[in-house]
Amino acid sequence: MNNPIIRREFIGALRKPNVAALEVVWLAILAAVIILRWPAGGRVNLAGTQAQQVLSLLSWTILVGMMLVAPAFPAASVVAEKRSGTLALLLNSPLSPAAIYRGKLIGALGLPMILMLLTIPAMTACFAMGGVSLVHQVLPLYLIFILVALESAAVGLYVSIRANDVDSAIRLTYAVLFVLDLLLLIPYRLVVNTQDPTFLLVGRWLASFSPLPALLHVLGSNSIHAGNSVSGGESVITRFVICSLVLSGVLGLLSIQRLGQWLFDRPRASGKVTDERSTQVRAYRRIMYLWFFDPQRRSGLIGPLSNPVMVKEFRTSRFGRSHWMMRLVGICLIVSLGLMLAAAYGSMTFQPQTLGELMVMFQVMLIVLITPSLSAGLISSELQNKSWQLLRVTPLSPASIVLGKLLSVCRTLLLLLFATLPGYAVMLVIDKGQADRVVTVLITLGLIALFCLLVSSAISSWFRKTAQATALAYALLLGLFGGTLVFWAGRGTLFSLSLVAGILQFNPLAAALATIHAPGFADYNFVLTNWWFMLTVMGVAAVVLVFRTWRLTRPD
Amino acid sequence: MSDAPVVETVELTKVYGDFTALDHLSIRLEKGQILGFIGPNGAGKTTTIKILVGLIRPTSGKASIGGVDCTADARKIKHLVGYMPDTFGSYDNMRVREYLDFFGAAFKIPRKQRQDRINASLAITGAAHMADLYVESLSHGMKQRVAIARTLLHDPPVLILDEPANGLDPAARVEMREILLNLAQRGKTLIVTSHILPELARICNMVAIMTHGKLRAFGTLDQIMQNVRHQRMIEIQLLSEDDVVQAAAILRENLGEGATVTESPSEMMVRFNTTGNEQSLAVALQRLVSAQVRVSQFREMQQDLEDAFLSVTQQTKTEIAAGEAQA
Repeated sequence: MNNPIIRREFIGALRKPNVAALEVVWLAILAAVIILRWPAGGRVNLAGTQAQQVLSLLSWTILVGMMLVAPAFPAASVVAEKRSGTLALLLNSPLSPAAIYRGKLIGALGLPMILMLLTIPAMTACFAMGGVSLVHQVLPLYLIFILVALESAAVGLYVSIRANDVDSAIRLTYAVLFVLDLLLLIPYRLVVNTQDPTFLLVGRWLASFSPLPALLHVLGSNSIHAGNSVSGGESVITRFVICSLVLSGVLGLLSIQRLGQWLFDRPRASGKVTDERSTQVRAYRRIMYLWFFDPQRRSGLIGPLSNPVMVKEFRTSRFGRSHWMMRLVGICLIVSLGLMLAAAYGSMTFQPQTLGELMVMFQVMLIVLITPSLSAGLISSELQNKSWQLLRVTPLSPASIVLGKLLSVCRTLLLLLFATLPGYAVMLVIDKGQADRVVTVLITLGLIALFCLLVSSAISSWFRKTAQATALAYALLLGLFGGTLVFWAGRGTLFSLSLVAGILQFNPLAAALATIHAPGFADYNFVLTNWWFMLTVMGVAAVVLVFRTWRLTRPD
Repeated sequence: MSDAPVVETVELTKVYGDFTALDHLSIRLEKGQILGFIGPNGAGKTTTIKILVGLIRPTSGKASIGGVDCTADARKIKHLVGYMPDTFGSYDNMRVREYLDFFGAAFKIPRKQRQDRINASLAITGAAHMADLYVESLSHGMKQRVAIARTLLHDPPVLILDEPANGLDPAARVEMREILLNLAQRGKTLIVTSHILPELARICNMVAIMTHGKLRAFGTLDQIMQNVRHQRMIEIQLLSEDDVVQAAAILRENLGEGATVTESPSEMMVRFNTTGNEQSLAVALQRLVSAQVRVSQFREMQQDLEDAFLSVTQQTKTEIAAGEAQA
């Protein structure tokens, strides 16, 4: 604690009232998890089945908690100081970049460590039920949690050092961790049936960046998905330890290297437009960027039929410019074509349902991950930047502001949805009988996009800081789309089938998967209930958004 | 100049709970006038400005611009006022031309005219060369120019500028002053707040001094200065430190309790303020000469807006202290 940064970061975090609230909520969640699965009648299964079930639920809860909480503070840590000018003061102090980084890292780990300490009573209760091994389960589990916190903090700090604003740092950190924790499991899933040892090895090591295989291994299940093993020659846990330590170490070194005086040694953007460059450069850029997609093109004036707020949103959003949109659509098309290719090559292993499941998962994932990042700052960012009062002194009506802001995100979402349509075309080619289902799924996906957009925008109108609005939007949407699937994962063992069905009917992803008859969801049929649920929430969110915008444009 | 006020507030009051941010403010401005709106932090300047641009509703009283009520017809007011807040309110990732284009479109300026208006606004504010630069890459002074250009886009008759010279270097401040004078010449009525009083004194023909939500002084610069001039500051240059001590003693003896005499031996200078007339000053000088104090210069110091401001705020403090003592 000699490092003044540790003291300031750690104590500063503990002073925040929302951290105290978080600790209380965390304890309540842990208590609920234990109470939910505590054996009734004081009788315990001697085989330890109930204890294992409780341990499993508790471990997943802690892991998800760590994944959500651990990156938040480090992601904002450096970039916030950069924006407020205090990072320059720190770099000008006798503290070395390594000491600054160490202080930030240890300070950032403080809160996750406290949250982990708070799990000890729950874990002890679980251990007291018997059938849980201290050496083979409890200690490895805590090792995994600590490494998750370390990896999250290292990623968060690295992104924070490179980012230019807090919101994008937080978004990017979660996106990187999403890739590490979930997307890197996909390559293994794809190559698991091949017998090629190189593919298997690469897939296995890539999957080891995620803590999920290690956690499943400790909890006594070797599967990461539908019974496919990721265990190889060496222990799954060992691989995870190696991967997370190497990643954290490398990111740490890169961060320290970046944390120098030259962090600020950047010229101001010259703002050169293509129109003012030499004939050769102009010709080259116009051909290469097909003129319209040239980021350095001098843009035209806003047209008489265009909503100025919508155009402003496109222009101010980093990914709103046409060249970024095209890049995003391009990636979606490539993935979509990849799925088509995979379907063509693997028609023996890929059933239309499996393809449909992948398509639905991919699209919902895109929508849930991208929509809050685009829409949770629609109003809050204006309030935060104090540009809202400039909007207020223009004659723009609240309806025009809301419409412009929503349209700006709608266009992006539509492009994303259309870009992945070829995959559904392949499904229909394989099995024409799927037409009705595909249409229903597409309607559900459209509703999901609108649902995420309206919920995130409504949240945005209640906050003055985009980071808070984005965090809440992600927490709500990920909780609904991903969190409720935890009940599905524990169906029949941890949770009764009726409870799972009751909860899943509110999950739009589950409704889409049920419609496409994805494995594990074929028995459910609640698409209409889910549509009604989404429409009701969308109605409420729209009313909230319009009311708040109207209120914010009124004189105080 | 017509007599019809362009900006008028009548008994304007804003109360937040038990705190009165603005207390019965009444001012009147005519076309082409530049009002220097001064006061310490928390005096009620920004509250007044926000009421005028329709961002805040007053508790009582009336504010109008061009005869349009600022509260009842906030929509019309937006076309009549160009408002530059003390924060720039930038949009990242946007070029200056796009930034102005957005506000032009928001004010429903037809596309055909918008380009000309953008160019004209940038030219008036000397920011034409910044059109293709990204807003976030601009320096503070450049941003101030772009902000003024933004207020000019819809060609409003009244411009309200909150701290336009704040953070500018001396050269940029001179340029800003020229821009504002140029705007007044074009018939715009300006309300300008600033803490840099010498700057304001050079451009304003009207001054309003506020403290604690109340208007303490309002009028032309000359009227304000005349009010302040009831106290004159005299400076006497002497030839030795002994002369300084002797002169100070004579002045204290002759000027009475109301005068403040300060000695500055290092400068060989004595300063005093007095409410006396020319006759009493002549007597004071005669006494010094008779006592063989060696006076090389005896002059009245010119007072400026800063002195006026300090005098008014000092007077307010004294009044408040007296009120508290009575209570």
